[in-house]
Amino acid sequence: MQWIKEDLQQYIQAKEYVDTIIVPLIPYHLSQDSELEKNAFQSEVLSIFAKEIEKELSGRVMLTPNYHYLKSGSKEEELKRINSWAGDALSQPFKNVFFVTFDSTWKKNEQALDGTLIWLPGIQSGDLKSNEMRSFIHDQVEQIGEFIKSYW
Amino acid sequence: MSEKKQQVSRRQFLNYTLTGVGGFMAAGMLVPMLRMAVDPVLQESSAGDLVNVGLAVEDITTEPQRVDWKIDQVDAWYESKVGKSAWVYKNDNDEVVALSPICKHLGCVVSWEGSEDYPDQFYCPCHGGRYHKDGQNIPGTPPTAALDVYESKVENGMLYLGRAHPRGEA
Ligand code: FES
Repeated sequence: MQWIKEDLQQYIQAKEYVDTIIVPLIPYHLSQDSELEKNAFQSEVLSIFAKEIEKELSGRVMLTPNYHYLKSGSKEEELKRINSWAGDALSQPFKNVFFVTFDSTWKKNEQALDGTLIWLPGIQSGDLKSNEMRSFIHDQVEQIGEFIKSYW
Repeated sequence: MSEKKQQVSRRQFLNYTLTGVGGFMAAGMLVPMLRMAVDPVLQESSAGDLVNVGLAVEDITTEPQRVDWKIDQVDAWYESKVGKSAWVYKNDNDEVVALSPICKHLGCVVSWEGSEDYPDQFYCPCHGGRYHKDGQNIPGTPPTAALDVYESKVENGMLYLGRAHPRGEA
């Protein structure tokens, strides 16, 4: 399910079946020309990833809006805010919180997150509409899906 | 207890595979040429609402296989490509059956033999919903209706699929 009106109507009826949230963590900035395209591209890919995972597991998973943060900002402050997103969900009660990101700095802060980090390394550029990208995303979604299911 | 143990090691295993995936990503980016070769198969047809899903009928067996294809969808604001999937097989009368993979409980994607404990059934990973091969839901599991059935036709040996309908009104 996504955080949209239609899905939330269903969610309210079926709360006891929906116990997992997925929060995409996406850095944003305009200040570093050399990184701009890469970061924007990763942001696009991650949004697609998250939506595809949600589609496979939509009956049990709530995909939150993307969590954006300034790339150069303090990770400590962001941690606090991210954990407050997790806290809001955990009190519902959701049982599992997953963060998905391409940003490796979260890997260093993994322990401080109130949830499970799924860090996807590596993707730099490519063509989102191409068939390779499609099948690549497909494979990834399958693996991440398996990973999430192993917590159920 | 043993199940618990197994789960942890499975989790670790998956965690390792996930972190090792970077290499695949790089490899995936190196072959954009392939696209040219693959594209014609995926081209959409002009045959009304039914779309060529890129599967030859002779490749359909009695074992359900998953097919994925894209359609153009226009809503009030956007025109976009939407992914569709189906489980396709030939039944005992040699007719092609195409079932929607969307679980009738809360909409997760079901898999054929998705659980080792239930061979010859569709299995929903979310809350253990199950369906017989013909799509009929198994009482006692969460879903309360059978899997939707796609409109289908065969043309020039290729499978075309349209909309999925609840069973009974197809
Ligand atoms: S969504 Fe399939 S059993 Fe609940």
